[in-house]
Amino acid sequence: MKRQLKTGRLAAAAAAAAVLAAQSADLGRELSAPHAECSLFGPQRERFANGGLLAAQREAQALSAASTEAATALGPLPSRSRSGALQTPGSLGPLDDILFTAMRAAGVTPTEPTTDQEFLRRVTLDLTGRIPTAAELTAFLNDASPNKREALVERLLASPAWVDKWTMYFGDLFGNAARTAQVVRFPEGRNAFYRWIKASLQQNKPYDQMARELIAATGANSYEQGELNFLAGGFMGGGPIQDTFDRQAADTARTFLGIAHMDCLLCHDGRGHLDALSLWGRSFTRYQAWQFAGFFARTQLARVPVTQGRPNPYYWSVLNDAGRARTDYTLNTTTGNRPERQPRPGQARTVAPVYPFSGRGPNPGEPYRVALAREITSDFQFARAAVNYLWKQFFGLGFVEPPDQFDPARQDPNHPPADPWTLQPSNPQALERLAQDFVRSGYDLKALMREIVNSRVYQLSARTAGGWNPAWDRYYARHLVRRLDAEEIHDALITASGVGASYNIAGLGTVNWAMQFPETAGMPAPNRNNSGPGAVTAFLDSFLRGNRDDVPRSRETSLPQALDLLNDNFVLMRARASTPNSLLARSLGQPDDQLVTTLWVNVLSRFPTDAERAAALERLRSGGAGQRTRNAEDLLWVLYNKIDFMFNY
Amino acid sequence: MNEREKFERLIARRPAAHAPLFFERPHLSRRRFFRVLGAGVSGYYVGAPLRGGEAVWSAGATPQNKAKNVIFILLSGAMSQIDTFDFKNVAGVTPASFAPESAGDIGLFPTGLFPKLKDHLAELAIVRSMRAYALVHGLARTWVQIGRNPTSALGAVAPNLGSVVALELEPQRQPSQVFPTFLALNSDDAAGPGYFSAKYAPFKVQPLATGLRNTSSAAAGGPGVFADRVNLLHLLDDPLRVQSPFGKSAEDMDSFYTQARAMVDHPAVAQAFGFSTADSQRYGNSAFGNACLLAKQVLAARQGTRYIQITLGGWDMHQDIYDPGELPALSKTLDDGLAALLGDLKSAGLLSETLIVMQGEFGRTVGPLSAGDNGRDHFLQQFVVFAGGGVRGGRAIGRTDATGAFVEDYGWSRNREPHPEDVEATIYSALGIDWTKIRYDDPFGRGFEYVPYAKDDVYGPINELWA
Repeated sequence: MKRQLKTGRLAAAAAAAAVLAAQSADLGRELSAPHAECSLFGPQRERFANGGLLAAQREAQALSAASTEAATALGPLPSRSRSGALQTPGSLGPLDDILFTAMRAAGVTPTEPTTDQEFLRRVTLDLTGRIPTAAELTAFLNDASPNKREALVERLLASPAWVDKWTMYFGDLFGNAARTAQVVRFPEGRNAFYRWIKASLQQNKPYDQMARELIAATGANSYEQGELNFLAGGFMGGGPIQDTFDRQAADTARTFLGIAHMDCLLCHDGRGHLDALSLWGRSFTRYQAWQFAGFFARTQLARVPVTQGRPNPYYWSVLNDAGRARTDYTLNTTTGNRPERQPRPGQARTVAPVYPFSGRGPNPGEPYRVALAREITSDFQFARAAVNYLWKQFFGLGFVEPPDQFDPARQDPNHPPADPWTLQPSNPQALERLAQDFVRSGYDLKALMREIVNSRVYQLSARTAGGWNPAWDRYYARHLVRRLDAEEIHDALITASGVGASYNIAGLGTVNWAMQFPETAGMPAPNRNNSGPGAVTAFLDSFLRGNRDDVPRSRETSLPQALDLLNDNFVLMRARASTPNSLLARSLGQPDDQLVTTLWVNVLSRFPTDAERAAALERLRSGGAGQRTRNAEDLLWVLYNKIDFMFNY
Repeated sequence: MNEREKFERLIARRPAAHAPLFFERPHLSRRRFFRVLGAGVSGYYVGAPLRGGEAVWSAGATPQNKAKNVIFILLSGAMSQIDTFDFKNVAGVTPASFAPESAGDIGLFPTGLFPKLKDHLAELAIVRSMRAYALVHGLARTWVQIGRNPTSALGAVAPNLGSVVALELEPQRQPSQVFPTFLALNSDDAAGPGYFSAKYAPFKVQPLATGLRNTSSAAAGGPGVFADRVNLLHLLDDPLRVQSPFGKSAEDMDSFYTQARAMVDHPAVAQAFGFSTADSQRYGNSAFGNACLLAKQVLAARQGTRYIQITLGGWDMHQDIYDPGELPALSKTLDDGLAALLGDLKSAGLLSETLIVMQGEFGRTVGPLSAGDNGRDHFLQQFVVFAGGGVRGGRAIGRTDATGAFVEDYGWSRNREPHPEDVEATIYSALGIDWTKIRYDDPFGRGFEYVPYAKDDVYGPINELWA
């Protein structure tokens, strides 16, 4: 995907450069908005980006033309030969129909369906963040029922590990951290937020209800009401109160509507900035963004010291019509971290809240944020954004990329935008269908995930024999592999080795899985582990878990990851036969052939191939009986360092 | 009266009560922005693809290209400038033990705080007209590391200066070199690679006498066992690593394994990242001293490291700043480490090719200490120390007034206060990097300017350092 984009942009920039000189004379005129702090935008860059868009379209057309022959030659879709499930083409669901039709139309050949082994490991990691145990693998392979994949999905969705994994995910999305560059929630506030997310998932609370509770939250104490901590994250100290309203508005738009451009628009009109990026954004004004931020204007965010007379620690209260927050959004600033907010001639000094996509404001007597929560969760864009964020978690690539850069004017497949604009999602029908299903299910997160992982497109193999065109990635014709997240690697090493870990988290007690950490920074506390100061924390950090503030989680690979998997004690001690209750301590007594199977099944969640078995046996038997233990340790260490251990494929 | 004058009058009236003034920048820079925009844009398009085919645009600046390496020392917490590198003797306030002595163009220098640096003043160029944009620690600290406003939308994906350097200088790496290009010492919270690939991320190290974490095969059983295991790994895993059926990310991981394997047990790794007690003592026997020691050893090894960030925290002295355990103690740590670093780099012939940049995230209040707390609070006026890399030392650039609160002479051709964006441009220029470059591979698809607005010449390097 990345390579594809880069090539596109190169051509794009070349085209755009040609027009740059001609257009540069107009730049000043086109800067219709005050443009100060924001170091992001410049009209020239928008033009480059526009070029990028057009180039990408050209590339897609060329690709499609070149493969017309392949398309006509393409036979029926591969049937699921090695699995009991979904063998007949007729069992394709509507989502699969849409996606496979798009592949066929573009002449893209999908990969083979996954084997049972591949599917079990993939879906267990994706839904629960764990690898399957040997017992789960055996049971699944021995299950002859035609619906065993669906049954597995139900078991996983009902497991406590599902709650852990998605509590971590929504903690990332909602930015739950004890401390960011701007805001301190203290561990107590973070824990409360963590508990709120976790309880919501345990109850499978409808996602629109979660959103309403976060957006409309009011209460006196963020240590006791976890949901208050979402809006507390928008606090901007040291400036006018509008800085905070704007931050809360931008966070809300990004999180629940997938529209990060609201952040831009709170500084300046879209015209002259977003012209080439967003059909919606280019005509959106800063005034409209103020109307959106206006829903937060009567929200007082206050620090309340836990002990009177001592500034620290404190919790947050979020109250309506309190303190300085008793008026509508006021245009009266000349300082702060956004350009001055002043009325234009003839404009009133205050801005009443209006939801930009419906034109509605609060009902009489309705608290502003209750109205906003109502508007957002009844906006179809809310469903689209949620579905797209989650789709990316399962496929590595959203229909809209990046998933927080939605252009709401280019979504509806029944009303495509006028030329030269195109619909934004890579497959608008699929996104629309999933979002509709999500709404129909009552915003049921489990139902959405069920639909995704039971689809045939999710169950396509990641393996290709070569000759893959990266431009085909966006058809989801091949499953994209991903490196396991930091917590998943940590927990996979525990599952595989049987050697556990135990961490004490202040206020939460003992946790045994990294996926249960309430946040991603400084976990576990660097001096609270049994293998040297900070070792486990450093190990987890190597896998780029981010800090939920200015460092995003990443699934990139890196040099420290390789060094740690090769040499870190967290790995090495789990490869030793002398570690009590470890995999080898328990299985060294098995005959060679069985031992090899045990290692593969426990670590890689699959059986060895014949070639692997032969190589492993040769290693195990080399150097005589005195070498067997060391040979087994070598093998186990190798498996921990294998690509198919550290990746989900 | 314009915004800027208003702001400064406010500061003058309430020198210790400026914390609520979060930013003062928009108005000045906006005007300048429009002015330069009005002049039109002249630039050229660099058609040649870089690694991976990214497109770039550049205004075609001519960098100084005088340095090969950079050591960026972040005085986290913000050091008091008028007690140190912009020394002002406040009658009845400044302790006599600071022992200021006149040092040529640098003027008064507190030899009591920095008895060792006193002998290195000929290497130092102190920019005293520097001014921060924000007075919030976390924000300003990130600001100086990424060279732009972190709360701007691109701030969230902007790479550390060191990551830009790592990417730019990658073509200069030799195949035999095994160290990462960008090393961050005592900087666990260093700004990351932003949207750049993880291979340009700061390689974060806490110096240990025993060397670099997880680069010894000893725990695995020694080099023999390690090599044996790696061979077995390739035997079993190459089908997934080489021309991987899983695609590029698996192949990328394999290339990191190749890099890691080259580092494990490499004598240069142990030599450069471990250290002796005697050397550590010579650098002051502190975490900062050890980082300086490592910086010198790593550069001397010439194994591909080009940008080193070192953090020395603890300067946020709101209370009892002159207590022996506060400014005097931390200054000694700095003095011991930095003086030894300058001395060693010089005698190794490395100083002339290594630019050292040292600054806090902002400055501290001037004049009398804060009532009751006896400390100094946050203040926008600050300093930056430059040394090495061909910089002409023994000088101050820019001059503040008698109190140290305001600039009297910018000492700079741009005739304004330098800001973090200008320091960023200076660093790129020193390393031969065109600071006006814009890359079109950012996730927003809008173009990432190395230095914001540099293409319009809003920000730019302090060339006076080399004059």
